[in-house]
Amino acid sequence: MKIVSLTEFSLSYTKDSPPALNGINFDLNSRESVVVSGLSGSGKSTLCLAIAGLTETFPAMTFKGVIRRSDGANGERARVGIVLQNFYSQITYLRSTVMEEIAFSCENLGLPRQETVRRVSEAIDMVRIGHLADRSPLELSGGEKQKVVLAAAIAGKPDLLVLDEPLSQLDPESTAYLGGVLTELKREMALLIAENDPYFILKVADRLVVLSEGKIVADGPPEEAITRSSVAYLDLPAWTMCVAKADEEGITRENRQAPPYELNYRKAISALKGPN
Amino acid sequence: MKVRFENVSFTYDTRTALKNVSCEFDSGRTILVVGHNGSGKSTFLKLMNGILKPTVGRITLGETITDGKRTSELARLCALSFQNPDDQLFAQTVKKELRFGIDNIGRGDGLFDSIVDTLHLAEHLKSNPYSLMYALRRLVTIGGSAAMGTPILALDEPTAGLSLREKKYLGTLLAFLKARGTTVVMVTHDLNFLLPYADDMLLLSHGEAQFSGERDRLFAGKDARDLMRRAGIGYPAYARISSALDLELPAFSAEEIVECLKKKRAGTTRRTNGRHQLEGA
Ligand SMILES: Nc1ncnc2c1ncn2[C@@H]1O[C@H](COP(=O)(O)OP(=O)(O)OP(=O)(O)O)[C@@H](O)[C@H]1O
Ligand SMILES: [Mg+2]
Repeated sequence: MKIVSLTEFSLSYTKDSPPALNGINFDLNSRESVVVSGLSGSGKSTLCLAIAGLTETFPAMTFKGVIRRSDGANGERARVGIVLQNFYSQITYLRSTVMEEIAFSCENLGLPRQETVRRVSEAIDMVRIGHLADRSPLELSGGEKQKVVLAAAIAGKPDLLVLDEPLSQLDPESTAYLGGVLTELKREMALLIAENDPYFILKVADRLVVLSEGKIVADGPPEEAITRSSVAYLDLPAWTMCVAKADEEGITRENRQAPPYELNYRKAISALKGPN
Repeated sequence: MKVRFENVSFTYDTRTALKNVSCEFDSGRTILVVGHNGSGKSTFLKLMNGILKPTVGRITLGETITDGKRTSELARLCALSFQNPDDQLFAQTVKKELRFGIDNIGRGDGLFDSIVDTLHLAEHLKSNPYSLMYALRRLVTIGGSAAMGTPILALDEPTAGLSLREKKYLGTLLAFLKARGTTVVMVTHDLNFLLPYADDMLLLSHGEAQFSGERDRLFAGKDARDLMRRAGIGYPAYARISSALDLELPAFSAEEIVECLKKKRAGTTRRTNGRHQLEGA
């Protein structure tokens, strides 16, 4: 089922500024995880905001085209949760503990206390922040705050979860672990994630959308989309970069069937091991 | 300028964030501070810059013992770019933000133009920094701190929110600062990008220093992999590839790895220094 669908959608933040999104055609289906990549300024955050229905808050914004949101299972609007690029602004600080801060997101949905308690402890376990549950949200490190905001969004159990660079402050172990968590989550909800980390993309994305100057330049299964877009827009895995460099210097294995980018780790290593 | 921590501990109200940390870095070095979320990295930078004062222990910047010195005095020795750019921005235009150090501290003459150039900020000088997209806000705060012209520069997560293009600008800035002899201390999770620039490393775990010293000494150690994994930062991808390829020592970028492979095939295994290649690029 389609959750959101954009047709020839363009958006400018002010009347005189160039479009931040330009002629976008894009459907997002339920239980699909789509990662959006591209250089900064390519429109990733704007696409996240537009799909979450938050661009309307920009007073001077103008748009063209159609954005259609489908109804949820019981005829209600599909519910959207979002973690902003500037997630610091999403902590309310109205509550004295992390647990209560996360509960706030459920209370806003009007959930009964019991259900709230259940969801909060589930989200805390999922994001592995049990050690922070009783701490004050004011007194956390950057990465700890990012995890709290993510947990609050997950506890809301939206139909679509939009995450704008959700890993920017996380340590590598957390990044790897939460990649797995998000892969599990897509059984319950659709995911739209703005992210450039190639390891994360290959692990989590069903579909990769690459943006450049407000336009979609590739859209498809990650390997395909990466192969079709220019390396100038995308971060690639370390082994892929090594093979590309080695190809350039003509020192890869001779009989290598050279694909543009070798994304498979084992094949990359064997190509690099060379002739012998 | 040299940086030295002697048995430094720091406690926020009741929570101890750094425990008995001792380390020393020479003037002009580029240092990466790494560790899991909440390990004390940002606290370390804030102590160095003087916003926080050690609960126990002594910090020396150059010849200056920081104890008893005013925060404003210490800010002339070490500028800090914050983990969250929005905590730092204060001026109405990018130009004012970048000129703050030059106009108020009187250091860093001639730096302004170089920094605007290196970070490609010329077309944004008249903009309100808050109206810029995230990656540019971060570049502006990095540029603003660098433009103070302090002998020590501390950058908290300088690549967070940057895409490839701005990371390259940052790389150029790092090479520029290196040539000026600035000591640069960076907190980062982005080892794939920043390791080639690093001379030294400080590895923190639960507020304790697990390693401090030369980058190459860390990676030459038999327990490097274990140490890094236990500290929550995993083993960097290029180092893993290096060992899969049986390189004698880990290399830290595609260029370095290919260079090592060529040497290895030519029968020698001496490794090249990645920084010089990067600077040349
Ligand atoms: N203002 C504060 N009051 C109390 N405790 C704090 C405060 N700021 C940070 N802490 C705690 O001190 C410890 C170290 O925090 P710090 O911000 O230095 O971590 P970090 O290594 O920079 O983490 P990250 O990678 O998430 O940014 C953490 O346990 C954190 O929860
Ligand atoms: Mg920090």
